[in-house]
Amino acid sequence: MTRKHVLDGVKVIDFSHYVAGPHCTRLMAEAGADVIKIEALHGDSSRHLPVMKNDRSGYYIQHNRGKRCLGLDLRTQEAQDICHSLIKDADVVIENFTPGVMAKYNMDWAALSKVNPDLVMCSISCLGQEGPLARFPGFDYIGQAYSGVMGMTGQADGPPALSGMAFGDISTGAHAYGAIVSALFHKANGGGGQYLDMSLLDCLFSYHEMNVQVYDASGGALVPKRSGHQHSFVAPLGLFKCGDRYLIIVAIGPQWVNLCKLLGKEEWIDDPRFADPVIRNENRDEISEAIEGWLATIGDPDKAVKILVEDNHVPAAPVLDVPEVMEHPHMVQRGIVQTIDDPKFGKVKIPASPMRFSEFPEPLNLQASGIGEHNAQILMDQLGYSAEKVAELTGAGVIGSKDT
Amino acid sequence: MTQTPMLDGIKVLDFTHIVAGPHATRLMAEHGAEVIKVEPLTGDPARGLPFHKDGRSGCFVQHNIGKKNLCLDLSTQEGKNICYELVKQADVVIENFAPGVMQRLKLDWETLRKLNPELIMCSISCFGQTGPLSDLPGYDFIGQSYAGLLDMNGEPGGSPIFADLAFGDVSTGTHAYAAIISALFHKFRGGGGQYIDISLVDVLFSYHEMGVEVFDGSKGGMALTRSGTQHPLLSPFGVFRCNDKYIFLIANRDQWLRLVKLIDRPDMLEDPRYTDIMSRGENREEVNAAIQTWLDNIGDADEAVRLLQEHHVPSAPILSIPEVIEHPHMKARGTVRTVSDPVFGQLKIPNNPLRFSQFPEPLDLQAGFLGQCNHEILSEKLHYSDHQITELEKNGVIGSKNI
Repeated sequence: MTRKHVLDGVKVIDFSHYVAGPHCTRLMAEAGADVIKIEALHGDSSRHLPVMKNDRSGYYIQHNRGKRCLGLDLRTQEAQDICHSLIKDADVVIENFTPGVMAKYNMDWAALSKVNPDLVMCSISCLGQEGPLARFPGFDYIGQAYSGVMGMTGQADGPPALSGMAFGDISTGAHAYGAIVSALFHKANGGGGQYLDMSLLDCLFSYHEMNVQVYDASGGALVPKRSGHQHSFVAPLGLFKCGDRYLIIVAIGPQWVNLCKLLGKEEWIDDPRFADPVIRNENRDEISEAIEGWLATIGDPDKAVKILVEDNHVPAAPVLDVPEVMEHPHMVQRGIVQTIDDPKFGKVKIPASPMRFSEFPEPLNLQASGIGEHNAQILMDQLGYSAEKVAELTGAGVIGSKDT
Repeated sequence: MTQTPMLDGIKVLDFTHIVAGPHATRLMAEHGAEVIKVEPLTGDPARGLPFHKDGRSGCFVQHNIGKKNLCLDLSTQEGKNICYELVKQADVVIENFAPGVMQRLKLDWETLRKLNPELIMCSISCFGQTGPLSDLPGYDFIGQSYAGLLDMNGEPGGSPIFADLAFGDVSTGTHAYAAIISALFHKFRGGGGQYIDISLVDVLFSYHEMGVEVFDGSKGGMALTRSGTQHPLLSPFGVFRCNDKYIFLIANRDQWLRLVKLIDRPDMLEDPRYTDIMSRGENREEVNAAIQTWLDNIGDADEAVRLLQEHHVPSAPILSIPEVIEHPHMKARGTVRTVSDPVFGQLKIPNNPLRFSQFPEPLDLQAGFLGQCNHEILSEKLHYSDHQITELEKNGVIGSKNI
């Protein structure tokens, strides 16, 4: 049989809101899964985040394309019954409330695994489902603070800096996607359902590709600290100014030799003070001075990048802002920016899914829904409710919809 | 009954090095896949990264636990032939050379899919396999520059700064893992093999949860830029100093009501300048000053966070690596993993963040020495004789070293 994408036919019931959870189910929808988003009657709070146009949020669109929307009041018994009926027939449930909230709605793993023993359920939270901090509310940056990520960002002698985007939320969503497809594969192999406890904290902490083991293995002698423009442990790896722009230059591999030649410092190639990236770091001021001196003679950042990268194969890059990225010929050719057409918002650009499959080169044509846009369709077609029953539930405030 | 691990029986041939690729195959190994890491005679360059003990790299150990190590010279025909034989038996091939290298080695998708039509192959690169920048050398921070991430860190008007950790590499590895498992699921349902093209720039650009649609949707009217310790639009939302430490806090909706009560500024509730998180953003100086006065009175960051959390105002101490490792929550949760290594003894690394109820205990995995499994792989999987293996060693096609 021909499938529209890798997750064609997989049924997902999605209780998530804001970013981390919705990004996960966006990836699932982009991979062809049938995602039903369960939304409170007042809507996912992210429906108010910028940029707004015709009462529609660009933010919401980016993270919720391709999901059908069921608007209901989870506090009511009838709404919980509807959810249980849908979950009986689902493959995946995903949620990102603060730990404890799903239990209040009779929607926790203990309850749902009885409803559907083959279910894969994934909870995403900031700090995990257990442990002393689990009960506190969390956001991306709370996870960044507790994982040591924020502490590693900023000038050495200054305060930690905020990173200008919620990479913890998005990348945790992608981790959750990875965990869910693993569990689906296991289930397809006869392994049954299971529960997945994903946290921003765990994901962000795993991003220390070096810091944890360096601190531990050095017996605490090497303490990773934020270093602003230069890497803590290896050199040269850092930001350098050229004209009106900053460049990143990385020469910790064999490119070091090329860089030495380019800087007119051939004598450094065999100098024991520069033998490897770690030893070089002890003498990095000398290296930085030479790089800065050379950049000053070039003066033009584009020219400097060309000489470094194209002519000498030394990894380097101009630091681009978001509008520059969106216009860059490489990004345009690769389709990194996806233009989607929303019925209310019109055309808007968003980042494309970073997972590219040769069997499915074209992205599916997906739209974001209004609150409860698919109430009648889901209840009548999937659960066999009558039109009268749907009207009755709407009248009682159990379900609702809003064209937003 | 002990469950069979999720990826039990999945065979992976791994041509990756440094971090992004090895992290993907580490996750696969953690979930029970059989990963054969093919290394050049000089070893994965990550073996040169700190911390070193007796020539052994902690960085290498972290990203390569659970893999079998085959060390050979890919430029020789014998080396290629060994790989071809292993590809025929494999479910997945993964590599993260600069685009073009696998083709030069005659190990590219077009070649390998002919040997094994059901193969899933994943390439990870900085810029992707297509586009004008694709053949440039790349690293995490290069990808961060081109994806518009570095520009978003630092003081407004000041220079950009970077986070001193390779979150681009590690999280791109996870994306590759996720894409590969999706393709395995598709193959399991009869969909056949395919090729996956993952790049750091694609992944990192997707981290703009707001910057792209805001710029485009406002027709360029709103361009987010770096804003130092504070959020560019919202308040309170940022880093604050308390005595000798820093904390982070954010207060939206009800959290603001509780914060105002806690810092004893009920007057701010009545003031229209502080009605919502956007209007407070326009008056951030007054908001931040009120919070700072309270923090100065408390004078102790831990106590301040305790009070804020007690009032359910999202907040956190900004921890250093040693503080994270020692924190009771991380200990309770096992966020830090201790692995055993023949050289290091015990070594702490970040745990696998994918947690499965059916598999609460991580597998006991070690990182291999260079070429440690040469004999096992050639003899058991490809039925080479001891004599043939010795010849390959003598000719410098395969090699090994206890690093």
